[in-house]
Amino acid sequence: MKRFLGIKTPAGILPTLGPISVWIALFVFAPVGVIIYFSFLPADTAGEIAAGVSLKNYWLLLTGDTDYGNAILRSVLYAFITNMVCLAIGYPTAYWIARYGGRFKALLLFLVIAPSWSCYLVRIYALKQLVGYPGILNDFFLHLGLISSPINMLYTPTAVVFGLIYIWLPFMVLPIYASLEGINPALLEASLDLGASPGWQFWTVTLPLSKGGIFGGTILTFIPALGDWLVPLLIGGNKVWMAGNLIQHYFIVRGNLAIGSSMAVILTAAVVLLIYMCIKLGGEEAVERIV
Amino acid sequence: MKSLRSDKVLIVLAIGGYLLLWGPIIVLGIYSFNNSAFGVKWESLTTKWYVELFHTSAIMDSVLRSLLIASVTTVVATGIGTIAGYGLFKYKFAGRRFLRMSILLPITVPYVIMAGALLVYFTQIIHFPLGYPTIIIAHISFSAPLAVFVTLGRMQRIDWSLEEASIDLGANRLTTWRKVTIPLLLPAIFASAVLIFPWSFNDFTITYFVAGVGTTTLPLYLYSMLQYSLKPVLINAISLIFIITPTIGILVLSYFQREKQFTR
Repeated sequence: MKRFLGIKTPAGILPTLGPISVWIALFVFAPVGVIIYFSFLPADTAGEIAAGVSLKNYWLLLTGDTDYGNAILRSVLYAFITNMVCLAIGYPTAYWIARYGGRFKALLLFLVIAPSWSCYLVRIYALKQLVGYPGILNDFFLHLGLISSPINMLYTPTAVVFGLIYIWLPFMVLPIYASLEGINPALLEASLDLGASPGWQFWTVTLPLSKGGIFGGTILTFIPALGDWLVPLLIGGNKVWMAGNLIQHYFIVRGNLAIGSSMAVILTAAVVLLIYMCIKLGGEEAVERIV
Repeated sequence: MKSLRSDKVLIVLAIGGYLLLWGPIIVLGIYSFNNSAFGVKWESLTTKWYVELFHTSAIMDSVLRSLLIASVTTVVATGIGTIAGYGLFKYKFAGRRFLRMSILLPITVPYVIMAGALLVYFTQIIHFPLGYPTIIIAHISFSAPLAVFVTLGRMQRIDWSLEEASIDLGANRLTTWRKVTIPLLLPAIFASAVLIFPWSFNDFTITYFVAGVGTTTLPLYLYSMLQYSLKPVLINAISLIFIITPTIGILVLSYFQREKQFTR
């Protein structure tokens, strides 16, 4: 035992956990601290930052004539719908793999993970190429004579939500699968022995026991969907802005770091609240299931 | 089986899930062999886009940049992350929970926020010119946590009495690390590297925020091609490469794991 900052610590702590702690402090906490600081600096519309501290940037978000507020509300709504649809598709998929996968479980899981490992830009592009105009489906339907003129499926709110579901679905399946696999089979047998029907068993035993996975999956789909900016940009064609687009717009296009920071801070606050709620509802398991 | 109807619903939803995930990618892959410059109307089978890909120097340069960034990121992030995972597993101390949550932070907060924060930090506070160092630093911040949690997961399945035995038999800490701990951690190290390399290679959002002039990686190049709608079919060909590369990575990884299970 050595003493570090007056506290008794095992000798191995500093060499093993030192590097990551320093790294996280320097390149995660410090930048987050900096944007919190910047969000309170007054900036004019050109992005010039003046001295002093004010709540002007936050005030602008509430009262600004531009539709910041709408973008943020839209983000929450779209992320919520995305999360629910991902749950509706992801839970049965995970359940099906866990229950009927047999010796193909590994392969079936692999087929869920593999798309999420490819470049996310490429996946958005693939979707766009398929349903857009000019696009493969439109061309195919025109060729078959099913439609007489191309259908515009892109650049609408529905298209953006569909894109979000397509992109973030794999992240819902994995945590749910992990928690379903973690259920003790003896509990399922016991419930059947005690007279539960398969349906009743699902609602009273399986579903409550997999809530860690559900909330873990919620953290992994709701949050990235909330902060997504490429899907609304490429699928929504700049017409359906979400919070992430505002952040990107102010940081990169306008170079207005103060306003950009205030938006990032608001979105971070929403994310922290959401994680907190997921942990409250889903327990510690929700966090364990996301990694 | 009583609930045949609900089983059918289950299968339909599961198949729907797989179709949604794979449909667009598979169609894109097939169309990358399409002999039409516009890309959406099928003409005839060709591999000419792949040939053109390898002869476009701008694309090859961006591939090399991406490979360089991903390599450095993988080595550093896997190193830092693996030892941190080991430390988190082995030692119980005050603040362990806080540290765990802090490490989780960069991978749960949306990328656009952390990327924006890093941009402000690099340009306004520490005055670091945007380029390779900023991209690599940012990538390590996001991928070291992945290695930490991969290692933590693996360590639960390792027999740690071997380490104690080594010390009991008179080996010092360093020898034990070299001869026992690192070989035990090898599967975790390998799994982290296989996860981090494609992550870094494929990353768009973070790189987009912190990249400078002349550090256009392959995803950034792809983005500019999409923006200006240059040669859609060439993009299809790049896309297939993006999809195939990590897939091979996972296959290698799962093969490696299977070997491990059998030798045990």
